[in-house]
Amino acid sequence: MSRGAARLAGIRLRLLAFNALLVFLPVAGVLFLDTYEQQLLADQERSMVEQGRVLAAALSGRGALEEADLERTLLELRQRTGARIRVVDGSGRALADTSLLGPRREPEAEAPGPQRQGWLYRVAALPFRLYREWLGPPQASHGSADVYTSGRPVLGSEVRAALAGRYGAATRISSGGQRSVTLYSALPVVDAGRVIGAVLVSQSTYRILQALYRVRVDVLRVFLASLAAAMVLSLLVSHTIARPLVALRNQAEALLDRGRLRGRFEIPGRRDEIGDLARSLEVLRGRLEEHIRGIESFASDVSHEFKNPLASIRTATELLAEVEAPDERKRFAALVAREVARMERLLSTVREMSRLDAGLPADDRGAVDLRELCEGVAEAQRLRGVVVELSGAPSLPVVTSPERIVRVLENLMDNAAGFSPAGATVEVELAREDGCARIRVLDRGPGIPEAHASRIFERFFSYRPAGPDESVHSGLGLAIARALAEGEGGTLAGWNRDGGGACLQLSLPLARGA
Amino acid sequence: MAADPKGRIAVVDDEANIRETVGFALRREGYAVEAFADGADAWERFERELPDLLVLDILMPRMDGLELCRRVRTRSESLPLIFLTSRDDEFDRVLGLELGADDYLCKPFSMRELLARVKVLFRRVALLESRAETSEASSLRVAGLVLDLDRYSASWNGDTVPLTVTEFQVLCALVRRPGHVKTREQLMQAGYPHDAFVSERTIDSHIKRIRRKFGDVDPEFAGIETVHGLGYRYRSGTDSA
Repeated sequence: MSRGAARLAGIRLRLLAFNALLVFLPVAGVLFLDTYEQQLLADQERSMVEQGRVLAAALSGRGALEEADLERTLLELRQRTGARIRVVDGSGRALADTSLLGPRREPEAEAPGPQRQGWLYRVAALPFRLYREWLGPPQASHGSADVYTSGRPVLGSEVRAALAGRYGAATRISSGGQRSVTLYSALPVVDAGRVIGAVLVSQSTYRILQALYRVRVDVLRVFLASLAAAMVLSLLVSHTIARPLVALRNQAEALLDRGRLRGRFEIPGRRDEIGDLARSLEVLRGRLEEHIRGIESFASDVSHEFKNPLASIRTATELLAEVEAPDERKRFAALVAREVARMERLLSTVREMSRLDAGLPADDRGAVDLRELCEGVAEAQRLRGVVVELSGAPSLPVVTSPERIVRVLENLMDNAAGFSPAGATVEVELAREDGCARIRVLDRGPGIPEAHASRIFERFFSYRPAGPDESVHSGLGLAIARALAEGEGGTLAGWNRDGGGACLQLSLPLARGA
Repeated sequence: MAADPKGRIAVVDDEANIRETVGFALRREGYAVEAFADGADAWERFERELPDLLVLDILMPRMDGLELCRRVRTRSESLPLIFLTSRDDEFDRVLGLELGADDYLCKPFSMRELLARVKVLFRRVALLESRAETSEASSLRVAGLVLDLDRYSASWNGDTVPLTVTEFQVLCALVRRPGHVKTREQLMQAGYPHDAFVSERTIDSHIKRIRRKFGDVDPEFAGIETVHGLGYRYRSGTDSA
C-alpha cells in the first residue's frame, strides 16, 4: 500500500499544484487595485479643488469675512462633503473650521487607527509593499501634518500661495504615523481685487485606503477559501483516480498468487478510462488464462499419451525378467522396441506441436493456387503407394502460407490413407463456395464414430480399428491440421459420408477478385 | 482357454501391447483371458456371457470403460472389476462416480501389482461365496471397526462397508497401529506394494473415499484423523467414543 501511495502521490501532487495555480489567478486582480488607488486619489483631489473653488468664489466679493456668516456657510457645506474646510484671513488666522462646528454626522478621522491593519492584511500585503518599495515609482516626499496643529496660524505653503493669489496644494503624511496622507488645497478669497483670505480644503486619503484595504482583505479571504476548496477538490479528484488504480494494482498482484492466475480485474460501475483499462486488463487476463490452460492441458495430454507406451514397456520388461522361453523373450523385446519407437515419434510430434505456437514461417504468405498445392501433396502420397484422385475446380487462388497449408493437406491425406483399406482410393474434391475455397478429403474407412464426432480434432484423440500399425499414429495429426487451418483464417470440419467413410473439409477464404 | 482355468478374465484396452502383455501374464498365472479392443466389442461378448473378473481401461473408442462398467453392473452387482487409468483427473472422476469398481491401477502399473489385485479379488469372491467362518485371528478390531483380512472386507458397528482392495490395504495400515501416524509414503507402500510411481495425491483421494464410505454408514464416523504435514492416523480405541 505504501508503495502505491508513494507512486500515486505523483498524481495527487500534480493535481494539487495545477488547481492551486488556478486559484492564484484572482490574486493578480489585487495588483489592479493599485492603479485603481491612483485614480481614486486623483478624483478625490479634483473634488476637493472643486469644493474649494466654489466656496472661494462664493466668499469673494462679499467684503470682509465675517466669522458668524462663514460658520453658517460652512455648516451647510459640511452636510455635503467629507472634506475638512477651513477659512483663514490674510494673516493665516483660522476664521472657521468645519471640524470645529459642533457634533458631526460622523467624526472625520484623518488617520486610521493602527489596530485596523491586522496581521492577516500585513502578511498578505507584504509582497505588494515590497513590490512598491523596490519596483514602484519614486514617491514625492511629504511634509508633516504637524504644520497645522491647533492654536497656531494656518500658514502652510499652500495657504501662503493662496494668500499670494495663487492656487496652492500640498500633501502631508497624516498624523499618527499612518500610511495615509492628507491632501491640502488652498484657494484665495478675493474682494475688490485684494486677497482677503483663503479657503483650505483638506481630506485624508484614509477613506480610500481603508476601502481598498477592505477590498484586499476580501480578495485575500476569497483566495484562502478558494485555496482550501481547490485542495479538497484536488484530493477528491485524485482520490477517485488513485483509488481504482490502487485497486487495479492490488488485483494485479493478487492475480499472481504463487504463479497461478487467480481472481479477476474489475472496477465495478466505472465507465471512464479507468473502467476501460480494467476491462482491457480483464480481457488480457482471460487470454492469458486461456493460454496457460492450453499449455497445462497440452502437458497433461502429453503425459497421458506417454503413460500407455510406458505401461506396455513396464509390463513387458517385468515379463522379460521372468520368462525363459526365447520366443516369448523375443516377442516382448520387440514389443519394447515398438513402444520405444512410438514414444520417440510421440516426442517429435509434441515438439512439432509446441512449435506451432512459435509458428511456422508466417511471412511466406502469398498468392497461391490450392489446386497446385493439392497436386503436389497428392503426388507425394502416390509415391508412398496411396492412390489419390483429384477432382473439381481447376484453380483455387488464395492468399495464405503455402507451407502451412501443405502441412494441413498432408495431415488430411495421411489421415484418410491411414483409415482406408489397403489399395483404396483417397478422393480430393476442390470447389468454390460462397467466396471460399473448399477442399474435401474423402476416404472409405470406418468413418467417424457417432459418439466422438466432436472429438476427432482433439489432441491425442485417436480412434482407429485395431491393427499392427496402430502405434504409428500419434493422435495429433488432425489437431495440428486444425490449428494450422485456423491460423490461416480457415476452418476444418469432418463428418461421415454416405456409403461409409469419412469426409474432412478444409475451407479457406478465396483471394480477393478470384 | 486352459483346461481347468483358475478363472476367466476379460481385459478391455485399446492398446494392443497392453492386451498382449497383461493377457500373457494372466495366462501364465493360470487364468483364461479374453482381450477386447474397446467397450463395444467387449459388451457384445458379455451379453452372452460374463467373465469372472474384468480389467478395464477407461479411455477407449466407441464405448469407454465407464459406460461398459455401468452396463456390466446392470447384469452383475458383484463381478470384480479393476480399472486401469492413465490420468489423475480420470482417477478422480472414476472415484467420484461410485461405479462399484473393486480397484483402480494407474498406468504405468506394475504387472505384479495387477496380479496381486487379481488374486485378492478372486479370493474375496471365493470366501464370500463359501460363507466360511471368519477366523478371529485374521481380523483386526478397533472399537466398532472390524477388518476381515481374509475376505478383504470391512464393517463398522456390524454394517459392511464396501472398500476397494487399495482402500482396504490403506485402512489396514492405519488400523494396525491405532494412534500412530502413517505418512503418505508408508500408506502408498501399503496400498501399492509393487508400485513406486503413485502420486501422494492418490492417497488423499483414497482417504477421502474411505471416509465417505464410512460416513454413508455412520455420519458420525471420525476414525481417520489428518495430521497436517505428516499423514494420517487411526484414532486409538479409547479415544473413539
